[in-house]
Amino acid sequence: MTVVPAQQTGGGGGSSGLYDVLELVLDRGLVIDAFVRVSLVGIEILKIDVRVVVASVDTYLRFAEACNRLDLEAGPRKDPGLPDLVGEMTESGARGKSKGALSGAAETISDAFKQARDEGGSERETSSRPRARKAAPSRRKEEQE
Amino acid sequence: MSTYVYGITAATHPSLPENTSGVGDPPRQVRILKEGALAAVVSDAPEGLRPKRRELLAHQNVLSEIGADGCVLPMRFGSVAPDDQAVTGVLAERAEHYAERLKALDGRVEYNIKANHVEEAVLHHVMASNPEIRALAESNRQAGGGTYETKIQLGEMVAAAVKDKEAEDATALERALEPAADAVSVGPESTGWLANVSFLVKREVADEFLAAVERARGHMPHLEVRVNGPLPPYSFVEPGPAEPAGTAAGGADAEAG
Repeated sequence: MTVVPAQQTGGGGGSSGLYDVLELVLDRGLVIDAFVRVSLVGIEILKIDVRVVVASVDTYLRFAEACNRLDLEAGPRKDPGLPDLVGEMTESGARGKSKGALSGAAETISDAFKQARDEGGSERETSSRPRARKAAPSRRKEEQE
Repeated sequence: MSTYVYGITAATHPSLPENTSGVGDPPRQVRILKEGALAAVVSDAPEGLRPKRRELLAHQNVLSEIGADGCVLPMRFGSVAPDDQAVTGVLAERAEHYAERLKALDGRVEYNIKANHVEEAVLHHVMASNPEIRALAESNRQAGGGTYETKIQLGEMVAAAVKDKEAEDATALERALEPAADAVSVGPESTGWLANVSFLVKREVADEFLAAVERARGHMPHLEVRVNGPLPPYSFVEPGPAEPAGTAAGGADAEAG
């Protein structure tokens, strides 16, 4: 719905697990005040910009559309797919999988976040434009470009 | 030459990853700085290091390697000391503290769980359990989609119901996994996921934790649950696992100083 899934869908199957780990690398871990941290311009955004509020006109319209299309007779989808094993990252497997994902997607995290920041300001204007949409709000990025 | 720091571990760590590739392009070679009972895993810090995917991965890979054979206190990405002496200085100064942390986290790894709703399934749930929403959806459908106003009205009701369900499922998921873990750390909220929670798990019972995840997946088929681990204990370097489960939120922001 935000920059986070946008990154995931853009990078292919393996990158959702990758993204999930990188979020920890960036945001958690030991901080020692005697050391300097490299400039993370565009990265600090993570905490703020992903908190895009669900409550927007855009979301409402999307939900309304989805409800219209929903086949109530079919019942809820019982199996949301096999467990997301592909996305899992283990100590032993981290290396190989990371490399695969690397060559698969050249876009850097910082670029993605920068983009998110640039778009942050226009979020509201976009939201007030009534328009039917099947895609998640994350597609907004592509549409604007 | 400034020094990039990956993590802190015990000097007795059985397989310190010397000569592994670290951050930078070309990758800088990983070195070990020992000070008393502690060791810092470092490399030269490349000029103009940026938080790119490749660099974040290099950081994570070095830590994974150390973490596979023993406990490590992972640094947050991008920690740079003026020189090697500054690193060993910090190790000496805070030796007791780091030794205590290493001991507390020994034999434990982090599993990060993120969960989303499967949208169609959650919409089904919301419609099924809310007659008002169902009625409005039906009248909209019969009116060929409904007016802009009724669509907004429906969407607003659905969004509120989905949000409630998110909170409910986040709690349920956390409760289901908590018993298999030593400590819990709740990550930042966002609309990218309904739950982002890290669990500190003893290595020898990791199977039990993963089994609990599988059970949770079975019980909540409308959730997409992503598991990442075992990882170095990023979310548990501070405060300690002595914290009661569920209160360690924001622990990542705690500083060592």
